[in-house]
Amino acid sequence: MATFLATYDFLLVSMVLAAALALTLYLPLMAGQLSVASPGFYALGGYIAAIMSTKVFHPGPGLYPVTLVLLEMAVAAVVSGVLGLAVGVPALRLRGIFLALATIAFVQILGVVALNLEVTGGAIGIFGIPQPFSSQLQYMWLAVPLLVVSMLFVARLERTRTGRALVALREDELAAAAMGVNPTHHKVLAFTASAVLAGAVGAISAHFINTWNSRQGTFDTSVNLMAFVLVGGSRTFVGPVVGGLVLTALPEALRGVAGVAGLPPWLAEFLRDGRLIIFGVLIAVGTVFFPHGLITPTLLRRLAGRHRTSGG
Amino acid sequence: MSVAAAPARDGSAASTADLLVVDDVTCRFGGVIAVNAVSFVVARGELFGLIGPNGAGKTTLFNIVTGLTAPDAGRLRYRGEDITGLPPYRVAERGIARTFQNVRLFGELTALDNVMIARHVRTRSGLVSGVLGLGASRREERETRERAATLLALVGLADRSGERARNFSYGDQRRLEIARALALEPELLLLDEPAAGMNAGEKRALSDLIRSVRARLSLTILLIEHHVPLVMDLCDRIAVLNFGQLIALGPPAQVQTHPAVVEAYLGDSA
Repeated sequence: MATFLATYDFLLVSMVLAAALALTLYLPLMAGQLSVASPGFYALGGYIAAIMSTKVFHPGPGLYPVTLVLLEMAVAAVVSGVLGLAVGVPALRLRGIFLALATIAFVQILGVVALNLEVTGGAIGIFGIPQPFSSQLQYMWLAVPLLVVSMLFVARLERTRTGRALVALREDELAAAAMGVNPTHHKVLAFTASAVLAGAVGAISAHFINTWNSRQGTFDTSVNLMAFVLVGGSRTFVGPVVGGLVLTALPEALRGVAGVAGLPPWLAEFLRDGRLIIFGVLIAVGTVFFPHGLITPTLLRRLAGRHRTSGG
Repeated sequence: MSVAAAPARDGSAASTADLLVVDDVTCRFGGVIAVNAVSFVVARGELFGLIGPNGAGKTTLFNIVTGLTAPDAGRLRYRGEDITGLPPYRVAERGIARTFQNVRLFGELTALDNVMIARHVRTRSGLVSGVLGLGASRREERETRERAATLLALVGLADRSGERARNFSYGDQRRLEIARALALEPELLLLDEPAAGMNAGEKRALSDLIRSVRARLSLTILLIEHHVPLVMDLCDRIAVLNFGQLIALGPPAQVQTHPAVVEAYLGDSA
């Protein structure tokens, strides 16, 4: 167990952070809005943490105080939320593919800005971000509570007046409006909540990765997040969380399988190097045969039912 | 229920008995005039029918009243206030609820959730208090659930509250839509062809349902319906539209024999 944790510490924390980030795509999607803006807020949160910890706080020798990381997370969340509100109000007048395109453009603009500003370190970025922990695995102390709180938030949200309004908009915006739901207000609310979470995840990630530059939180991240949600499931918060965990671990798992003795060389090679192909096929097959993803509310109900009967 | 007073056509003399005043409303789609200078007044407590051949502009008029379509000219007043051009959710907030000709339920959601969503304007709990499950929010949530269950019982769907709306038969979907609209606690209810796709027995049950909810909830109802016997039987007054124009308005017996109505329905070549 100890060796497993030590070997896969980086992967395990990455999985948890990916699951939290997948929820940032899920939140606007609850209201039927495909926004891929959250990598932009993730990048912003990372820069805020990187700048604060290297240029503002001037840490002394030894471990960087965890309380300062929490402070950075709070600042990143607030700034991302404010920017989310400012971007969301005009952007969420757009629908469907136009909103997706506008949010892709937003992510690109932020990337270009980061690349050209002095404070963000230009093309080199910011490196030597101080470490609050002596081992990478200890980042779990930040990542796991953040994921758990986010999951509880979304799980509760699905059973509240606001959450019902979001789902109503996803199901039929016109009917929802005729029932008194203000579409713009609720879409912006979901978008802003998504930005807040993405900013906080970014702040942890900057410390975790140790360096932050304009290659963090790009369109590639947007595509990954879409895969997490599309394969995992887009109709319950459990879907994106499982999608984020599993799809982040999958390439490493395949690499492990490729090492098993006795495999034909071509198969081992395919598992090692063809994992992007497998990834792509999985997304394509998943969206065709499981349009709502692998984990659906129906599946969860069935599992809960079986658990209850077997548990007495 | 008495037949309402004569409509105040100029709208300026709106009495307290007038709930909805449609004043010279016109709506064009490209070259087509869907609604052409239509005026009428719906009195408080009235059951007002809107009939006419296909394409006469009935649903367009509903969309204008509920804010889904903006009129090109004319005003709408509700409870004496101008509601022209308000967005749909604002119209709903003021107490105007509707059903849709093509049924627009939230298909993936359960019957109970469909009705609970429409309690939106009658509840207050915000994002934070809702998520934290604070006392007031928790109480409101329970009340919302109970109210929704009561409404499902009212339309005869009490035992199917957990079923997904899209699995309901057409007739049941229409009744569920009525329950959802009632959850708004409207004063004015707009029903767009509620009997479409129902058999004779279901139509009778629907008539009874409309009568009973109207009496129990002191509703004013605006009804579009093709099934003429149902309209004649239910309504206090009927407006007849043809090619966007109001061609007759009055009590059922009077409208039924109106020469322009007979011509519109049968055609002069028939």
